[in-house]
This record gives sequence, structure tokens and C-alpha cells, in this order.
Amino acid sequence: MSPNAVPRQWNTRAVDKQRRLDRITHLLSDKVAPRASIAEVLYGCITSGDRVIAEGNNQKQADFLSRALADLDPERLHDLHMIQPSVGRPEHLAVFEKGIAKKLDFAFSGTQSHRIGALMMDGTIEVGAIHTYIELYARLFVDLIPKVVLTAAFKADRAGNLYTGPSTEDTPALVEAAAFSGGIVIAQANEIVDDVSQLDRVDIPGSWVDVVVEADRPFYIEPLFTRDPRHITNVQIFMAMMAIKGIYAEHGVASLNHGIGFNTAAIELLLPTYGEKLGLKGQIAKNWVLNPHPTLIPAIESGWVESVHCFGTELGMEDYVAARGDVFFTGHDGSLRSNRAFCQLAGQYAADMFIGATLQIDPDGNSSTVTTSRVSGFGGAPNLGSDARGRRHATPAWADLADENDPLGRGRKLVVQMVETFQAGLTPTFVDELDAVTVAKKANLAVAPVMVYGDDTTHLLTEEGIAYLYMAESLAERRAMIAAVAGVTPLGRAADPAETRRLREAGKVKWPSDLGVSRAEATRSQLAASSIADLVDWSGGLYNPPARFRSW
Amino acid sequence: MTDVADLLERQSIVELPARARCQALLDSAGQRELLGPFERLRSPWLPKQDIVTQADDGVVIMRGTLGGQAVVMAAVEPAFQGGSMGEVGGAKIAGALACALADAENGTPVVPILLLETGGVRLQEANCGLAAIAEIHDLIVALRAYVPVIGVVTGPVGCFGGMSIAAGLCSELIVTREARLGLNGPQVIEQEAGVDEFDSRDRPMIWSLLGGEQRVTTGLAEHRVADDIAALRRLLGERVKADVQTPARLAATERFENLLAAIDPAAKATGESTREQFAATGATS
Repeated sequence: MSPNAVPRQWNTRAVDKQRRLDRITHLLSDKVAPRASIAEVLYGCITSGDRVIAEGNNQKQADFLSRALADLDPERLHDLHMIQPSVGRPEHLAVFEKGIAKKLDFAFSGTQSHRIGALMMDGTIEVGAIHTYIELYARLFVDLIPKVVLTAAFKADRAGNLYTGPSTEDTPALVEAAAFSGGIVIAQANEIVDDVSQLDRVDIPGSWVDVVVEADRPFYIEPLFTRDPRHITNVQIFMAMMAIKGIYAEHGVASLNHGIGFNTAAIELLLPTYGEKLGLKGQIAKNWVLNPHPTLIPAIESGWVESVHCFGTELGMEDYVAARGDVFFTGHDGSLRSNRAFCQLAGQYAADMFIGATLQIDPDGNSSTVTTSRVSGFGGAPNLGSDARGRRHATPAWADLADENDPLGRGRKLVVQMVETFQAGLTPTFVDELDAVTVAKKANLAVAPVMVYGDDTTHLLTEEGIAYLYMAESLAERRAMIAAVAGVTPLGRAADPAETRRLREAGKVKWPSDLGVSRAEATRSQLAASSIADLVDWSGGLYNPPARFRSW
Repeated sequence: MTDVADLLERQSIVELPARARCQALLDSAGQRELLGPFERLRSPWLPKQDIVTQADDGVVIMRGTLGGQAVVMAAVEPAFQGGSMGEVGGAKIAGALACALADAENGTPVVPILLLETGGVRLQEANCGLAAIAEIHDLIVALRAYVPVIGVVTGPVGCFGGMSIAAGLCSELIVTREARLGLNGPQVIEQEAGVDEFDSRDRPMIWSLLGGEQRVTTGLAEHRVADDIAALRRLLGERVKADVQTPARLAATERFENLLAAIDPAAKATGESTREQFAATGATS
């Protein structure tokens, strides 16, 4: 060390945090800030240019705090760098329009996808990157370490202990990144209690939290995963039958994740009926990585399901989940503990299969839900819908996809795209080029927002049949297999009938008749529950659906 | 406690099309469809309005027995034009009821069962549909002197408009909890009276006022049944053999006049307040 050098100070983060907290100590009683002082608390804790997480999850939203942030004066606070797993509230975008924030790193935008697309394209929002959930959590510990985290809980006590319960979701990952790097954690709670003994349980310890404030109204939560069985069509039932017979049974899929569409809801409702008839109970679909879908209730009640680990919760499922502690992950208080980071890891590394729907598929099998003008982000689909290259354990379904002639042959995650050849309004699902390519150009994205790449897709299921894409020996063969099940879309009409015949003979493409699945059998009478009311009956009255789903 | 076996055995009525409902509910032997699709009795009015017709005009008439009792079943197909009553479909029901009346008068009673999944008159056929509905009303009243006339509303379309009056005239009315019964449908009320008066998207409110549960509680329907073929078949088998009932809703008209007089139209009706008002005027008994 040169004699004149000033010795480096090693605790600047802690000192900075203390300086910020000193500005607001006079407002706090224990760790509780009065609701009316929220602007002062935010001005005290946040400095222009900070990296700030406003907790927006798939379902739970720290909306009181994000509204308070959007009400601040951009003269005093500006150029924030927002980090959000989900951008789901209008005020999440208002902070950019007002000039309080400038840069955004996020994973999913859901209901704000149109507006965020417009703001990206006109330069109001400078996007760092669009991530997958675990990719974004990972960066919180490397190059996107947050200065302030605004989070949400059902209940807090005066010492900052939080009960996040069924809606724990992203909270542990987000809070940990700030709490152990000299950052500040501010939590809104629906209710503040005096003492930890009044909390159902502690999900986040008080020593990780700096400020708690009682919200003006309970945090917003969206019932994203409720699919009314009333709307399941015969075509979806037909495809679900093919999936169960030609994929679940064929490969012995024991552990899995389902997308949120009606296709997979149909599968959930066919397990206790069609699956039972095929004698598959106990052999397939036992261990789930899934939100508590109401449509899974009949499969759980009839003994198909051994375990379900959840990313988040679902409105109305609280009492049912609490009463099925052997199946769901619940705390000593009985309520669900969700955790998106762990659940995403489970879906990526420990599940045999991901099955979901998409909006567009190109001739190589790449697929995306991004369409022109709409930037919905990735969420978890790319992680769930891809082979985990670091996986080293074998399960029967995973190993079933290995090349048996290769001594180093390894298995694969089953990644299944289940789509009708036409979307609503007779738009073909199969397109020459994904809209994602155009969106990437218009919004200056470094990577075209592809959800699931063609080389990760192992199976393509349409109402025409199943293409076992993992068996393709060349890109040309994969293309032919995709075209073979593309129906009467332009891509399907261009398929060579002789090649399709060869693929069927080789067992690389199967028609419903090859699988022994009859169209005439595919009726709604096969569903274990055909309405939300039936699901309530199946739950023994424990499922309490949101009002908008009731029809009795 | 959930009875899984029972739930798995349930076969939903709502999920079946009209013809399959008749086939599932009647005794399997001796079913005979009258004026079936091969008669090609189509609506003459729909093609003029560029609307595709159906070979049975959305109404299925089937003769047969139920637990050995001779019955004629008329089922409206909810998937065709919202279960609307056109001239032809309406005339098919009226004709079936007229035959049943002739049989009853000749001492060979045939019990009519009406599966009413209907939004009421088909607007494209206007007065022609309404005329048929009026005939149906007239025949139901005449038939009640001889045999039970049984109406069934299962949902989720419900039973509205002129056909809700037909339901109201039946000597026995069977509903599921998903059924809705009312003169005007929720969208119509909202359109006419405004969203403050009636929000057609407020599902709990709609079912609390028009739903099967409420209609049974307030005495506007007699029986509640699960959405299950076997359960409905059991109940129908019992009711077709019972003596003709005259429920209070058909007999004690002065009670309803009192009820109407007691209602303050400015006060917002709820499921609860309506039940109380019905109970107070004794209209439910």
C-alpha cells in the first residue's frame, strides 16, 4: 500500500443504508411507518438512479407501494432503474411516463403487454432485457443487485416479520437480494399486528425487513389460473385424449407442469375418467409443479395426485389446499407456501414434462406467444419448456427419450406443444415467420422473444395427430413431421403425402386412429367436472370460486 | 366428505344435446321421435335473413315411456339459435301437446314433459313464434285438468321470455341450481333499466334472484335436482305417476297481487329481501 493512499472503506453500503434510514427514523414506531408518511419514507430511502424492485408477481402486486411511488415528484426522484418479475399494474408504467423511472428489467408483462410494447417502441422505457423468472432472480445476486425492494404481505408485525402465506411467490428471492447487500426492504401489509405470536407463521424474518406500512386496501391478486370447464370444447377433449394415450402413457410421465390453457385443463379433467379407463392411475401424472388449478381438484380427490408444489396461489383455493396438506406444501398454520424460484427450478430440473399451448409456430418448430404490438415477456415458459442441460438424474420418462445406441446417450425433458392448427378467427397457428422477429426489430431487442425453441420441442400435438419431434434425424425431417400435423394451414397443405406416410410407418408421426383414439368418444360428457359448480362439489364445498365464475 | 364414485358416475344433462337428453331420460325401449330431422321441417323465415336452418328447427319431440308411464317429451335444443322458439319449433310443441290433450280426453293419458332451455321467442320470427307460444300456454292449461304437465329447466341457458310463462303454467316445475328462470333475461333488464338497476355481469346477484335455488325457495318451482341424468330420471319417474298437483303459485293469485302491492320498486331487491317478501305474504306455501 502506498503511504499516501487513503485506506479503502469496506462498509460503504451499510453506511449508505444507515444514512437513508436515519432520514426516516423519526417517522417510524418500531418498524411501522404511518400510511400518510409513505411519500416521505420513499423520498428518504430512494435516491435518483437507484435500482428498485416493485414487487409485481404473476398474481400478488405490491400495489399500494407502487401507486405511492408513481405519485412522487420526478423533479426530486428520477432515473430509477426498475426491476420487476411482472409488470402487471397501470402504475408500473406510470412511473416511466412521469419520468420517475427510466430503465426496466422484467420477465413478464401480462395485462400491460400492449402498453409496454408501445412505450418500448417510442423510447419512454429503456429495456435492459426481457428475462425468464429465474434468470431475473439470478441477476439480482450478480449484476442487478437492488438498492430498495418494495414488497407485499398479508400480515406484518411491528418488528417487520412478514406472513406472505399462499402468496409468497417471488418475495423470498427479491427480499434476500436486498436484505444481504445493504439494501432496504419496505413491505406493505394488509394488516399490521403487534406481536409475532399474532402472525399465522413467519415467511420472511423481521431482521430482513426495514419498514412496514399498512396498505390502504388489500393487495391486488388476480385469479389467473381458473379455467371454467364450461368453455372446454370437444376438440380440446379429443387432443387431451391423444395426449394422455400418446404421450403421458407412452413415456410414463410421472412428474409434470401444465400450462394455463383450456387444453391442459381438459387433460386434468380427463384423468379421473378417460385415464382411469385406460388403467393409468398411479403410473402417470403423480408429482406436479403447478399452481393450485381448480381443474385439478377431481384428479386429487380421486387419488391421482401425490404432490403439488406451487409457484403462487389461486383465489378461492385457500381452504381446499389447507385441507389437503398431504398433497400441497403447507406451513404449520395449514396455509399454502408457494415459492416461485424453487418451483421454477423444480419445473426445470425435476419434472419429466412441460406441456402447454402457444399462439404461433414456425416451420422449424420455434414458437412464441408474442405477436406484433404485444410484448408479454417470458415468465417461466422458457425454463419449463426447455431441456435442463445440467440435469444428471434419470427418470423413466426422461430416459425414454435417450438414444439407446449412444453409450453417452442422455435423456431429455419432454417439451410438448399442444395447439389447434387454427387459432380463433381462423388465423393459422403455423406461420412462415414468428411475429417475434418483427417485434425484436421494432423494439430493439437483442434477442427475438421466442418462448420455446424448435430444438427443445420434443412433441407437437394438434387435432390432426402427434409428431414425435425428438425422433427427427435431421432438420428436414423435423420440418416434414411438423407439416404432417399442420392440417389445412398453408404449411400443412404443402406437406408431401408420401413423406407423411413414411413418417407414420416409422412411428414418428401418429394419427388419432394409430393411437386408438376415437373422435366420436371425445365429448364433454367425458369431463370429470363440466362446470365450476361441479368443481365445488368435487372439493366437498372447500373451493370458493371468485364471484365472476359462479353460475348458481 | 366427497363421494368420488358418485361424482364420477354423474352424467350431466346440460352437456347433452336435446335429442340425447330425451334418449337418456326415457325408458330405452319404445322411443319414437315425432317430426324428426328427416321430415326436414325447417324455419321458412331464417333463410330470408341469411341464417342457417336446422332440420328439426331446434325442437325434438319424442314419444315413449318413463317407468312404464306413457309420456311425450319436448326438448328445446339450446345450441341452436339460443334455444329460441320459432314458428315451426313452437308448432311442433303445440302439436304434441294437442295430441296429448286428445289422448287424455279419450282416456289414454300421455304425460307431457317439457325440457325448457330457451331464451324465449325467436326474434327473427317475431309474431309467428309468439303465436305458437300462446298456443302452448293454452294447451298446458287445458292438459292440467287431466295429467301432470312437467317442466324442467337445467341451465345454463335458462328459461326466459314467453317460454318462462309456459314454465310457470306447468303443474310441476323441476330446476337445477344452475337453472335461471325469469321473464326478462339479465342483459335485457340491464339494457332497459340500466346497469345500476341490474348488472348483467354480477353473476352471484343474478342467480340469487333468478336461480334455481331461489325459485324453489320462493315457491315458483317445486323440485330441485342435481345436474345428473340418473337423478332427473328418478324424479321424473316418480312425478309422471303422481296425481295432478295444483301448486300455490297457480291457485292463489290474490297472494301475488298482495305481494306486488307490498313491493317498493324504488328499493333494490336482493335474493334475501325477495325471500322475506314472499314468506311474509304467504306466497311460498
